[in-house]
Amino acid sequence: MNTRTDRRLMDLQVDRRSFLGMLAAGAAVVGVPSLLSACGGSSAGPTTGYVAAGADVIPTYVPIEYAKPDFPSVNGSTPGFATLPAELVQSVPTPPGKGTAFTAMTPLWGTIPPKSGNQYYAAVDEMLGSTIDFQITDGNTYGDKLATVLASSRDVPDWVCVPTWNLPPRFGSEIVGNVFQDLTPYLGGDKVKDYPNLANIPTDAWRYCVFNGKLYGLPFPGEILTDAIFYRKDVLDGLGITPDVTSAQDLLDLAVEITDTNAGRWGTEDLWNSAAIIFAVPPKWKLDDAGKLVHRVESEEYRAALEWNASVFAAGVVHPDAVADQSGDAKQRFQSGKTLIANDGLGSWHEALRDNLASNPEFWQQPFAPFAGDGGTPVLFKGNPANIFSFLKKSDDEARIKELLSLADVLAAPFGTTEFDVVNNGVEGVHFTRDDQGMPVPTDLAATELQPTYIFLVDGPIANTRVQYPGYVEASSTWQAAASEFVTEPVFFGQQISEPQQYASIAQPFVDLEKDISRGRKSLSDLDSAIATWKSAGGDELRTFYQDILDKQ
Amino acid sequence: MTASDVKDGARSGAGTPAPPPARTPVVQRKIGWRTRLRRDRSLLIMTLPAVGLLVVFAYIPMLGNVIAWQNYSPYSGFFNSSWAGWSNFERVFSNPLFLNAVGNTLTITAFQLVFFFPVPIVLALLLNSVITPRIRTTIQSIVYLPHFFSWVLVVTLFQQIFGGAGLINQTLRAHGHQGFDLMTNPDTFLLLITMQSVWKDAGWGIIIFLAALSTVSPELYEASAVDGASRWRRMWHITLPALKPVIILLLILRLGDALTVGFEQLILQRGAVGAEVSEVIDTFVYYQGVVYGDWSFAAAAGLVKGVVSLGLVLGANKLAHVFGESGVYKRA
Repeated sequence: MNTRTDRRLMDLQVDRRSFLGMLAAGAAVVGVPSLLSACGGSSAGPTTGYVAAGADVIPTYVPIEYAKPDFPSVNGSTPGFATLPAELVQSVPTPPGKGTAFTAMTPLWGTIPPKSGNQYYAAVDEMLGSTIDFQITDGNTYGDKLATVLASSRDVPDWVCVPTWNLPPRFGSEIVGNVFQDLTPYLGGDKVKDYPNLANIPTDAWRYCVFNGKLYGLPFPGEILTDAIFYRKDVLDGLGITPDVTSAQDLLDLAVEITDTNAGRWGTEDLWNSAAIIFAVPPKWKLDDAGKLVHRVESEEYRAALEWNASVFAAGVVHPDAVADQSGDAKQRFQSGKTLIANDGLGSWHEALRDNLASNPEFWQQPFAPFAGDGGTPVLFKGNPANIFSFLKKSDDEARIKELLSLADVLAAPFGTTEFDVVNNGVEGVHFTRDDQGMPVPTDLAATELQPTYIFLVDGPIANTRVQYPGYVEASSTWQAAASEFVTEPVFFGQQISEPQQYASIAQPFVDLEKDISRGRKSLSDLDSAIATWKSAGGDELRTFYQDILDKQ
Repeated sequence: MTASDVKDGARSGAGTPAPPPARTPVVQRKIGWRTRLRRDRSLLIMTLPAVGLLVVFAYIPMLGNVIAWQNYSPYSGFFNSSWAGWSNFERVFSNPLFLNAVGNTLTITAFQLVFFFPVPIVLALLLNSVITPRIRTTIQSIVYLPHFFSWVLVVTLFQQIFGGAGLINQTLRAHGHQGFDLMTNPDTFLLLITMQSVWKDAGWGIIIFLAALSTVSPELYEASAVDGASRWRRMWHITLPALKPVIILLLILRLGDALTVGFEQLILQRGAVGAEVSEVIDTFVYYQGVVYGDWSFAAAAGLVKGVVSLGLVLGANKLAHVFGESGVYKRA
């Protein structure tokens, strides 16, 4: 049930990059919600299926580098910057806007900033040359608002942010073509070179913005790995335990060892997402040896993950509140040391440092190095190349679209540019001051005014730039570089496939079943009957639907 | 006040000369509808805003139920969605999850009718017997308060107290006893949600009963006390008969809502106990319709629920008449 995950998403305070943790949570809802994200309609007119993008659709990739990463990307891992560049470059010399006032709709997991006299808005708008009037909605209920707004194309703002986990049903098949502007004529192929910062966004992220063979979205690029299994290294050090986990059994043994219910300390949170990682459960489909598609719920990996997760619950090492599925408080329990192992998005790492280092300078969470359930070679599935998109409202006014894209070009400026600095840190002296090492220290005003808004519209290539937490960029970058060795692309990677609507809900029983089996309320034989039901309710037809798409590729 | 009372009042208010104290239908038939329209004009005008509200917010949206017979998509609209005949209803009735949801709904309703519905009545009677006004208002305020908590808060509170890491369990463990977990046990879930409902809403529910009790003339009690009636007899022969119409009225209204049981309360605890015991019609409709965008199917399920609820209200009302009560409404 994805509402649960949504609750988890909302608990995070989101700012640039930091909400990658949240993205991961979104991405972690693989399975059913991924059905959501690729729904099609069955009534007359809608387009379902997948249309590959022609060469002139995907924008040409022209990389630019303003700062050299201290920890370069390995196999697509997120590059890390451990220091701030000495000189910032203004990547777009003059404000490209024509003074037009645009409206934009974005989510926010935090307190909505004031509009009047907001010096952050003023600073960014000055850089843009146009103004953007934000209609900000609570991220928790953003999906509901989005569904309503999109149902009436007249009321759609000029620029709309759409997180992938909020993609309403029928988005690809019916909405996108009716409501949003086809950007292919503006950005396809070499045309993107008019917007150098947009051309700097990698190809995979663009490909994911293609619906029905046309480019519609502007991406917020995602990381190759979204989730990790974290443990409280500081607490384990205190207990004199140095974890050496190389199999699922090792992890369970460790959880048992560190559980002390009398001290109010349990080993783990609900590790279902971890189980899926450890046992390499495919995000949606996998190919068996004969080249046939096997759905995630039918796979051996899924069964093994469920079985193991059930054994974790049965061992009594899961915190009772997590057993009661109060996943919204998972972070709080983990950070206060009530649980010592938890699954989370990689982006939550520095958020945890931000929230805890002040009160607990020793605080350190560390992800386990990747391992496979049986102790063999781990398999990690690559995350979506973009987890958030934005779309421009359909318009016949070519100049208007071009102006919006030129604003997007400013906002997509990468680390090392003045634009990036202003969008992320605001104005020096107003929103931040510099400490003796030149690191930006946010002021109180930043907390009210500098909320993530522009960043939800478009973003440059991913980079880890959290220089302010000692050791963090290095730890994160090296972990990810090492893990990237095991990363593999799932079938249909980076493709937007619009499914016929009638298959939307057939996998719903599995969301409940995952919780039921994990908590010992149901057994694996219930899984068999659920799979049989799934097949007869349309699962086999869905397989044929995907097989056709696969055969055409 | 019944409809005929209102009519009588209007009649005398309009100054019609010496109306016969007739409530018999015979007399009413003699007056033509034009006459009645003219006579009740001001009253009818006064109902217009309420009727308008009903039309705009209840009757017109009701037309939307047409999507239950369509393959509806909000992007095609009512007019462009194709027709599906009864297939959505067939899917609803052949869906084991829906039948499970209906079963759960009925179980919860029946259980709460017995163990939750009487609680406010008992509370009201107890409170009514408290003489000191200060103590009474204090108790009243305390039991009202939880009504204003959201379900999220209520569930969290229960988790903090009864959960596996909650107050009670940690205390038990500290004293070397085995803990128990009320919050994640599907077998006792019915008990749990009823406890939560009682804690949250029983205090609120007593308001109406207290109001009814306040209308009982103290002279009746005095007279019966003089006649030697015991406390129990006074309750049986004076208090309860005074409450009876209100109890029946609320019971009928409750039956109309019988298929609506704690949406938020159940969604919040779904993961803790599993869908098998916590899925009810409302949550089923939510997941099918809103989460998975199967609007027509969800509308069909919702419509079935609406029709059954209507039947329940009509049936209960009829039953009330049989027992000589006026119920929610009565034909003039």
